[in-house]
Amino acid sequence: MTKHIVRFILNGRAVKIEVEPRTTLLRTLREIGVISVKRGCEEGECGTCTVLVDNSPQKSCMILAMEVEGRSVTTSEGLIFPDGELHPIQQAFIDEGAIQCGYCTPGMVMATYALLMRSPDPTEEEVRNALAGNLCRCTGYVSIFRAVKKASAMMKKLPQGAGDR
Amino acid sequence: MRQIKTKTGIGRWLPRKFDREKAAGTLEFTDDLRFGPELLHARAVRSTIARGRILSIDYEDALKVDGVIKVVVGKDFPHHFGLYLKDRTPMAIGQVRYVGESVALVVAESEDAAEEGAAHVKVEYDELEPVFDPVKAATNNDILVHPDLHKYDHVGFVTPQPNTNIATWFRIRRGEVDKAFKETDHFFEETVTCPQIAHGFLETHCCICKHEKASPELTIWTSAQSAFTVREIIAKGIGYPLNSVRVIAPPIGGGFGGKAGMTIEALCLAAAMDPDIKGRPVKLFIPREEVMISSWVRQGYVARIELAVSKEGKIQAIRNSFWFDTGVSAEYGANPVRSAGYTSTGAYYIPNVWTDCYAVYTNKPFGGAYRGFGLPEFMGALELVIDTVANKLGIDPVEFRKRNLLKKGLPTCTGMPMHDHGLESIITKVAQKINYDQKEEPIRPGWKRGKGIALAIKAPAIPADASSSAIVKINGDGTIEVLAATMDMGQGTYSAFAQMVSEEIGVPYDWIKVHFPDTKSHPYDWQTVASRSTWSMGMAVKQAAISAREQIIKLYSEFWEVPEDCISIEYGSVICSKLGKSERLDERIQNGFKMPDGILKGGPIIGTGSFTPPDIVYPDLETGQSPKSVVHFTVGAVGIDVEVDPGTGQIVVNNVAAGYDVGKAISPVGIMGQIEGGTIQGISACLMESMSYDEHGRLLTPDFTDYKIATTMDVPSSVDAFWEEVPEELSPYGNRGVGEHSMISPAPALNNAVYDALGIRIHSYPLSRERVFKAVRALSNGEKDFWEWPYELEQVFRRAKKSWE
Ligand code: FES
Ligand code: FES
Repeated sequence: MTKHIVRFILNGRAVKIEVEPRTTLLRTLREIGVISVKRGCEEGECGTCTVLVDNSPQKSCMILAMEVEGRSVTTSEGLIFPDGELHPIQQAFIDEGAIQCGYCTPGMVMATYALLMRSPDPTEEEVRNALAGNLCRCTGYVSIFRAVKKASAMMKKLPQGAGDR
Repeated sequence: MRQIKTKTGIGRWLPRKFDREKAAGTLEFTDDLRFGPELLHARAVRSTIARGRILSIDYEDALKVDGVIKVVVGKDFPHHFGLYLKDRTPMAIGQVRYVGESVALVVAESEDAAEEGAAHVKVEYDELEPVFDPVKAATNNDILVHPDLHKYDHVGFVTPQPNTNIATWFRIRRGEVDKAFKETDHFFEETVTCPQIAHGFLETHCCICKHEKASPELTIWTSAQSAFTVREIIAKGIGYPLNSVRVIAPPIGGGFGGKAGMTIEALCLAAAMDPDIKGRPVKLFIPREEVMISSWVRQGYVARIELAVSKEGKIQAIRNSFWFDTGVSAEYGANPVRSAGYTSTGAYYIPNVWTDCYAVYTNKPFGGAYRGFGLPEFMGALELVIDTVANKLGIDPVEFRKRNLLKKGLPTCTGMPMHDHGLESIITKVAQKINYDQKEEPIRPGWKRGKGIALAIKAPAIPADASSSAIVKINGDGTIEVLAATMDMGQGTYSAFAQMVSEEIGVPYDWIKVHFPDTKSHPYDWQTVASRSTWSMGMAVKQAAISAREQIIKLYSEFWEVPEDCISIEYGSVICSKLGKSERLDERIQNGFKMPDGILKGGPIIGTGSFTPPDIVYPDLETGQSPKSVVHFTVGAVGIDVEVDPGTGQIVVNNVAAGYDVGKAISPVGIMGQIEGGTIQGISACLMESMSYDEHGRLLTPDFTDYKIATTMDVPSSVDAFWEEVPEELSPYGNRGVGEHSMISPAPALNNAVYDALGIRIHSYPLSRERVFKAVRALSNGEKDFWEWPYELEQVFRRAKKSWE
C-alpha cells in the first residue's frame, strides 16, 4: 500500500512519519516507540490508548494517523517535566494507590488531564463522566477518584500554567 | 535483640515499586518489547463450530498473501500440554471442540499479513452435535467431549472418569449425613446458577517465542503470571530439559488467574519450532475479541445445596452437588473444583458433610483459574442459601452465621482443625459499618433499600509441594537486588518483598530493587497464584534477607573485632555503638574486608532462601478427609447497602464494607488495593457479567461493548476496607494472603441485600437490570423465588430440576 507523510506535534516536538492510510494513530505512535498508548482492544472500548489531540481526549485506536495532520498529540510521556519530574496527576495516582497493573494508567492519566484542563475542580459526577470510557479492572476506580481529587488540589498549587503540557 | 533499624519495613505505607514507570507510561509490557525486522507474527485461524471433525484445511490462498511465509496446523505440533490433566493440544487435531479453538496458525512478516492470511484459510468440517449444559453432559454420555479421556496423563489428585464428561469428581464424605437429614427439625434445598465469566484484564495475551536454529534452546517472552510453570509445562510437553527453556516474564497488565499456568505459549511455539522458522522470533498477540472467545474463563455452575438445621438454629448437615462447567479443558479447571470441594462448608462448622463437585466438559471455552479459585463460585451459592435459610427460620442472618461459625479448633469439612482467626469481630464490624441493624429509608424516592452480608473463606489451593526460593544480592554500594520469581501484576508483592528486606537488613526501601522473573537468573517459584506469594515467597525472601544480614554482621564482627551482637544495621549503615563506629555499606561488601590479620575476607554477599509447605496431605480421594488439607485459611466478610429501582431493575450500591483477617499487613497500600479492587470486581460480576452463547455455542459477548465490566459509572464512591491481624503460625510475619478473597463475597452480599430490599430471592447470577425488573414483576405475582438463565443454562436447569423432583 502506498505510504503518505503525516506531520504533527508529538509531545511538543514536530514529527514527520510515513504511514499507510489505514494505519491508526495508536499503531503509528507505538511504531515510533511511544509505548504508553496500549492496545487493550483496538475497538474503542477500553481507553488504554487515550491521548490528547489538541486538547480533547481521544481513543487513538479510533483515529487514523493521517487525521492528526497539523495537530498536536499529547501522551502520558509528554506530561513528564523536562527534569524528569512526574506531572502532579501522575504523582497523585501513585500517592493514592490508584495504580495496580498500570495498563490502564497512562490512558486514565490523559483522560484526567483533559478533565482538569477544562474543569480544575470537578465534582464526583464530572470525574465519573470524564473517565467513563476508561476501563480499569484492578483498582475498582475508588482510588482513582481519590487520585483525581488530589491531582486537582496539587495542580491548583502550581503557578498559573505550570501544569499545562 | 534485633540488630536492625529501618523506617521502611513491614507494615509501612510506601509508594509502590514500579508505580513511577507505570504512571509515566514507560514500563515495557510484552507487547512493548522490540525485536527488530527478524520478528515474525502469527495469527490463529479459529473454529467456527462447536464440535465436529476437520475434513480439510486449505491454506493455498493464505500462502499467496504477500508476507505470509508459513501455515502450521495441529498435526504438525501434536504435543499435549496441561498443568494437572493433559487434555489440551495447542491446535485442534482431527476435531474441534469449541467455537474459537485454533485450527491453524498463519505466520507472516507483519501482523497485517498474518491477519489477512488467516482470513484466507478455508476449513471444512463435518459438524457433530455439541453439548453445552454441564448437567446434561454429566448425566448423559451420548456426547463425549473427550472420548480419549482415559489416555490423558494427570496428577494423582485429579480423578477423570473415562467414558464420561467428568474431568474430575471431588468428594467429601464426613459423618452420618443420611441420618442427620432424616432426624433434622428443618430441611432446606436451594439451587443457584452462575454463568461463565471473563477475566477482563486490560492487557490481552501476548507472547514471543524463539527457538535457536542450531541447538535445542528456546526463549519465551510472555505475559504470564508464572514463568517457571510455563517453563515446566512447555519443557514436559516437548520433552526438553528445563534449562533449555528460558522464560522471561515482563510486567503483565492484569492476570486475575487468566495468565496462570500456560496460556498461549504452546500455540506460539508451534510456529517457532517449525523447521522453516527456527532461528527467528515469532510473536503471537491475541486481539481482544479472540481473548474473549478463546481464553480461560471462570467456570459456570449449577449448584444444589441441602441443609439440615436444628430448632436451635445449628446446621447439622449439608449435602452439596456442584456441576462446574469446565468447558473444553480441565487441565487447570479441575483444581478450582477441588478447592470449592475441600472448603464446602464455607466458614461454618457443619458436622455431617456430603459433597460432590464435578468438573464437567462441555463444548465451550475452557474453565481455569480465576481470582478466588472455586470460592466465589461456592460461596456465591452457599451464602445465598445461608441467608435464605436464616430468613425462613426467622433468625437474623448475621446471628445465624455467628451461631454456626467455624471457630478455632472445630473441624473443617476435611477434618482439619480450624486455626485461630478474627472472623467474628470482622462480622460485627462489617454489620456496624453498613448499619445492618437499621432499616433505613431509601435515598432515592420510590426505590427500595436493603442490606446484606456474606462471609468469605479461602485457602491457597496449591499442590502440597508448591515451593518458592529467593536470592538477595547485596551490591557494592549497599543497594540490594532481590530475585524472587513472583509476578507483580499490580497486587504489589515487590513492594512487600522490599519491605521485608528492609525490615531484615536495615537498608532503606528505596535502595531495594525486585526484578521481574527470568528463569535464567531467578531461582524457582511455582506460581503467582492462590494468594500465596507474600506468604510462600515471603518465607524465602525473609530467609534470604536474614542470611545476607548474618553474613554482613559476621564480617563486620571480625573486621572490628567485636562480638556479633554489638553490631547493628541502621538505615543502611553498619553501626557499633561500643566502638562509636558507623559506616555505610560500601564496596567491601562486594570485594572483601582486609581483616586485622591482614587477610582479605568476604566477597560478594548473596543470601538465599527456600520454602516448601511442610505438612500438607492431599484429601483422601474417596472421603476428602485429611489431617492437613491446606496450609491455612484467610477469612473475611462483606456488607453491602443497596438501593433497587423497581421501575427499571437498576441497582445502586450505597455503601460497601469489607474486612479480612490478613494475619499481618506487610504492605498496607497493597492490601487496601486488593480489597478495593476485588470488591468492585465482585460487584461487577454480580451485576453485569456473563459469557452468553447462542444455541450453536457462539459467544454473544465477545467484546467490552457486549461483555460489560464495571466502569466509573457503576461503582460506589468508596469501599470501606479494613483488616484484622490474628497472626498465622507458619508465616514470615504472621501474614496471610488476601488478593483473591476480596472477590469471594461481594456477589452474595449484594444478592442478599437485594433480597432484603425486594423480598424476592434471585437464584441466578448476574443480577442484570432486566433480570431484577423481571423479578420485581414475579414478586407482584406472588413469587418468592426467581430463576432465569442465559439460554443454555436455562435448558440445564429445567432438565436438572426435573431430575431432582
Ligand atoms: S485500545 Fe483504544 S479504546 Fe481500547
Ligand atoms: S491498574 Fe490494572 S487495569 Fe487499571
